[in-house]
Amino acid sequence: MLELDRIAKTPPGGHTLFADLSLTLAGGEYVAIMGESGVGKSTLLNLVAGLDHPDAGEIRVGGQRISGLADEAAARLRREKLGFIFQAFHILPHLTLEQNVRVPLLLLRRDDPARAAAMLEAVGLGSRLHAYPRELSGGEMQRVAIARALVHRPALLLADEPTGNLDPETSDSVLALLREEIKQNGATAILVTHSAHAAAGADRVLELTRDGLAPRTLPRVA
Amino acid sequence: MRRRRMLQLLGAAGCLPLASLLPSRAALAAAPSFPPVRPRALAFPRDHGAHPDYRTEWWYATGWLETAEGPAGFQVTFFRSRTAHDPANPSRFAPHQLLFAHAALAWPGHGRLRHAQRAARVGDGDESTRFALEDTAVAVQGWSFSRDAATGRYAATVADQALALRLGLAPTQPLLLQGDRGFSRKGPRPEQASHYYSQPQLAVSGTVGFEGKSLPVRGRAWLDHEWSTAVLDEESVGWDWIGINLDDGGALMAFRIRGRDGAAVRWASARLRERDGRELSYGPDAVRFETLGTWRSPRTGTSYPVRSRLTLGQGTAALRFDIEPLIEDQELDARLSTGAVYWEGAVSLRHDGRTVGRGYLELVGYHRPMKL
Amino acid sequence: MKLGFWLAGGEMRTHPWRALSALAAIAIGVALGLAVQLINTSAVTEFAQAVRAASGQADLEIRGPRGGFDESVFARVVTDPDIAVASPVVEVDALVLGATATAPGQTRTLKVLGIDPFRAGQVAPALIGAPAADGADLLADDAIFLSPAAQSWLDLAPGATLTLQVGLERVALRVAGSLPGARPRQRLATMDIGAAQWRLARLGSLSRIELRLAAGASREAVTQRLGAWLPAGVFVSPPEAGDIRAANLSRAYRVNLNVLALVALFTGAFLVFSTQALSVVRRRGEFALLRTLGWPARALVRQILAEGAAIGFIGSAVGAGLGIAAAQAAVTLFGGDLGGGYFAGVAPALLLDPTAIFGFVALGTLAAAAGSLAPALEVARAAPAQAIRSGAEAALFGSGSALRRLWPGLALIALGGVLTRLPPLQGLPVAGYLAIACWLVGGIALVPGLAGHAFAIVARRVSPRTHPLAFLSTQRLAAAPGQAGIALAGVVASFALMVAMAIMVGSFRDSVDRWLGRVLAAPLYFRVPIGGNSAFVAPAEIAAIAAHPALERVEWMRIQQFDLDPARPPVTLMARTLDLDNPGERIPLTGDALARAQIPAGTLPVWVSEAMVDLYGWSLGSRQTLPLGGRAVAVTVAGVWRDFARQHGTVTLNLADYQRLSSDRGITDAALWPRPATTPAQLTEALQRDVPATRHLEFGEPGAIRELSLRIFDRSFAVTYLLELVAIAIGLAGIGATFSAQALARAREFGMLRHLGITRAELLRLLALEAAGLTLFGIVAGGVLGLAIALVLVRVVNPQSFHWNMDLAVPWGLLGVVTALLVFAGIATALLATRQATGAGPLRAVREDW
Repeated sequence: MLELDRIAKTPPGGHTLFADLSLTLAGGEYVAIMGESGVGKSTLLNLVAGLDHPDAGEIRVGGQRISGLADEAAARLRREKLGFIFQAFHILPHLTLEQNVRVPLLLLRRDDPARAAAMLEAVGLGSRLHAYPRELSGGEMQRVAIARALVHRPALLLADEPTGNLDPETSDSVLALLREEIKQNGATAILVTHSAHAAAGADRVLELTRDGLAPRTLPRVA
Repeated sequence: MRRRRMLQLLGAAGCLPLASLLPSRAALAAAPSFPPVRPRALAFPRDHGAHPDYRTEWWYATGWLETAEGPAGFQVTFFRSRTAHDPANPSRFAPHQLLFAHAALAWPGHGRLRHAQRAARVGDGDESTRFALEDTAVAVQGWSFSRDAATGRYAATVADQALALRLGLAPTQPLLLQGDRGFSRKGPRPEQASHYYSQPQLAVSGTVGFEGKSLPVRGRAWLDHEWSTAVLDEESVGWDWIGINLDDGGALMAFRIRGRDGAAVRWASARLRERDGRELSYGPDAVRFETLGTWRSPRTGTSYPVRSRLTLGQGTAALRFDIEPLIEDQELDARLSTGAVYWEGAVSLRHDGRTVGRGYLELVGYHRPMKL
Repeated sequence: MKLGFWLAGGEMRTHPWRALSALAAIAIGVALGLAVQLINTSAVTEFAQAVRAASGQADLEIRGPRGGFDESVFARVVTDPDIAVASPVVEVDALVLGATATAPGQTRTLKVLGIDPFRAGQVAPALIGAPAADGADLLADDAIFLSPAAQSWLDLAPGATLTLQVGLERVALRVAGSLPGARPRQRLATMDIGAAQWRLARLGSLSRIELRLAAGASREAVTQRLGAWLPAGVFVSPPEAGDIRAANLSRAYRVNLNVLALVALFTGAFLVFSTQALSVVRRRGEFALLRTLGWPARALVRQILAEGAAIGFIGSAVGAGLGIAAAQAAVTLFGGDLGGGYFAGVAPALLLDPTAIFGFVALGTLAAAAGSLAPALEVARAAPAQAIRSGAEAALFGSGSALRRLWPGLALIALGGVLTRLPPLQGLPVAGYLAIACWLVGGIALVPGLAGHAFAIVARRVSPRTHPLAFLSTQRLAAAPGQAGIALAGVVASFALMVAMAIMVGSFRDSVDRWLGRVLAAPLYFRVPIGGNSAFVAPAEIAAIAAHPALERVEWMRIQQFDLDPARPPVTLMARTLDLDNPGERIPLTGDALARAQIPAGTLPVWVSEAMVDLYGWSLGSRQTLPLGGRAVAVTVAGVWRDFARQHGTVTLNLADYQRLSSDRGITDAALWPRPATTPAQLTEALQRDVPATRHLEFGEPGAIRELSLRIFDRSFAVTYLLELVAIAIGLAGIGATFSAQALARAREFGMLRHLGITRAELLRLLALEAAGLTLFGIVAGGVLGLAIALVLVRVVNPQSFHWNMDLAVPWGLLGVVTALLVFAGIATALLATRQATGAGPLRAVREDW
């Protein structure tokens, strides 16, 4: 589903993040990537999203090469194949929850209010379709974000510290929901986090270090 | 003729630089033609009146007054000027004829000479400025000088904040015709001449007012009436003139016109009326002025021969008179208005060490040559 | 205090151009207002002082029509015992031949005063010439004395020849000396009054008599005594009346220009408002932090007000400098005329009036401080705890903002409506101007609220399925009217002002154009050269012209000026050939008129301009007294007409009536109809060949006259065109400021959208749609507001200021072009302002710690 083939990246003016990084994700696989701050977790996500370009190597999403694509083409690929969840939610304040969730469908010209409603229903906000984001709590916001990220059935979901702004209790329920929805929608997903607790729900956990990606075994959580 | 500078002096009631009205340039305008003065017999009373065709004319009264506060000299002058303004100008305001009036009072112990003046054009609708042809009657802006046809008596009215005079001047003698029956030559060329007669020994009575006071006065005066077109030539720089009422009832007029090079005299003339009415005439060779003493003006730095000896005739028959000023400072400085600085004042005449008469002396052209 | 400086300094450093644009707008307003004020003060002062110099130390002054009054008045005046000095004056504004007009605003006329030096010396010694060669020149019939300024203007030294046009003749005068007493820049000539009457064709008449009273005499008593017998149209007044007349001459015009300057200042204040409003949006975190650290709300308000005032003060100071420089340049290049033609020929020195300078600086500072008031209060209102949270920027100027309330705007608009019904105050349309101000402010106050409703309606109609971008942008516009409102208000204000001025000027121009069409009925006209009052056509030439074989018909006109009220500028008397049965054929009557039979016996019919009705109450059908030839003539107002050429009043009467009652036989203008098969050009040629004197006349065909008139019109409105540009620039600056301020705030939104797969092109389209939506709404609202303001200008301000009415004409073409340009400019400005946020990649944008 996702192939990173010998990626090298040195951000302009920074030190080398990846010299020769490879990673392959099978379809429907849910992978968590952990690592210390500054090790390049977010850069890795950006490369996968086509928002940044590797210095060497190739990235393919569903067999389609995204690295080296022009901005326009990358954007089209993104709207078709990718879903995003951000630490800061990024829900548009002037749209209702339902409208927010519909935005990816609208961009794809595949508007489907029923699908949006179903997604909101699925994340437990089915009764508040027409509420505005300012009425929501952080956890609820992130639920909306999950609905928005998966509404168009993306092949790959990218989540960057989705629980960074949430308290532990809420985090747990959001993470559980996230896993459930990923599996429900058959999406391949990468969760970037520095929290072992958050990573625990993934099928596989990788550790990003200066030396590259290595499998990591998490201590059992009580 | 000496009063020619009246034009300059009286340029304005205020301060007009009418430095010389007489020689007017024709330039773009059509200049009027002025008749020359030719010998003729004067006819009265017509010749008491104005002669507007001629360029200049004046009625000039000078004299001594006796007052409760001592003797004083006065002069009242009315001056007519025909300008070079185009005679074709039909405007009522066209300044074809101008009238000036000047009055001065010299009073020892009463400060400097006080004087006042008036000037106006004739015919602009203001009837208070006018002259008559038939007899003496001139007026400028409320000042007037006129002759009563029946009595021959003159009345002079001067009204100004600085000086007010209201005088009657009664003749006690016949007219004194100057030169050849009133035809008076002023220079070597025949056209340099005027019609000129005097009325000496006028009995004066009236009032003098200044600084809010009004004093009754009596005295003796001398009147000149003279009209002409061309008098001075290019070579002349100024003149000395006297008009004296002699204590014995006689009268003396004398003048000289000075040339450029100091001592040179361009012309001179004198006429003496004896106590018995006999008249003696003196020509250019028989009139001599000699300086006895000068007074230097502290204001202008000009030196004037205010004391001089007048000699009439030649040899042993010569008459000698000493001229003594009433006060030394009778200078008139009109540079701000007219540019002229001259001395004009009351004098007494001495002969053989005693005073024989009183009258006026005029000294012109000592500050700067007169340009006329 | 120190903290305040740090805050303001930081703000200035990070966003210098925003503060600079606000500063520039304030500077423009102050510069314009101050320049107008200084130029006019200088001109009025110079004019009045020139008049003063001519009247010297007179206690009273007798004056009559410009053409003069009978000189017999003088002979009688001098008999009054209370009058110590009476100095008669003949005043002619003479046309100088061979003189070059050094600038468009200056004419070739020279004021020539004929005086009696003996008398004038006691009243106005400054008028006495200093003869260069010969004292007698003071009274010479061919001599003239030129002030130093006139000598250098005409390049004539003493001894040279000055040629004037009198009637149709050339009169050569000898420059005999200078006028050392003249004011440094005063162009003046004096000559002897007798010579002046003769050479300048004023025989028998005087223009003025300056009086000095005897000690102890009462001005009132003399005024009354003289007034009892002076001929009609001749007045006694104190010379100070001249100052008032001078000031009255240009008053309405000047006030109008000043109001335009205030408009510029207002827009400047508005820009300060939008700058500060957006600055507080951006700095809400900073302010919230300060408040949590213990700064009271009052201190915040003070800080924001002080920042605004600082912008205002610096802008005003720069503006004052610019204004002084502009005034200096204008005075040097064009004289003191302001383009209104009131002080032609006056060449004033710039007078730096400290009151005006400090007044305008204070006004600019206050305006800027006032512009900061609403943002300051808004910040003070916000709860600090909420404001410190990110994403709360919408709270400022959001739904709870006072800016969204409708009633203050509605109240102001209602008040403005009432104000339009009020009469003028002291001859000025004060209420009209206030009404405009109310509508402008009220309209702008309504904008945020109205915009919210309007965009919500639009948003409901946009299908998200077919137009997802339009859907997103309208949703945003409908949701955030507070911030959009700020950008909008700028567009509304500037477009309203632009529309108002365009419609007013367009209506005026259109009316003048059509008026010219009505007034210029003949195929050919001539007139004596414009400027001055020395030129005219004399009877001999009139006869020769009338008898010319190439001429089929001719109508004559004599234009003169006279006083009806010595405190007001003179009224124009227009005597012309008229068909008494059909005067409307020649006179552009505005309404009903009396027929010939309706004129009461014993009175003459006159047709008066609208100004006569407003200023003197000469309404239709009323019986009035007209001073003609020194007599009071009973007249009946038979009609009212529109006169765009003269704002101080015009009385038209039949030329035959005029010539019967006055001794004046001269002619100043004529309308000519050539015989069939003769062209106007051929007629001109034939006349100039056969009547040589007509070569001194200015011939013109209606087309050329019209073109020239409209060119003069456009020139005098040049300053309003400039202001329109300023208004538009300010509107665009408002859009730019809003979008750039939002750019940072919206960077995360854009970043998220990019993650969701929006291309950069789509993002730009989204922004363009928002900008277009905003600008269009602004244009519609501004257009409506502008039309309303234009109505006030056309129906209230103009008639009350200039006493003429005009028809409303909307220049649709111009407005359409400007609308299109403004929409494009608005979009471009918005895109430029946000390029940072749309271009700088979505990576950083979604990060929390921006």
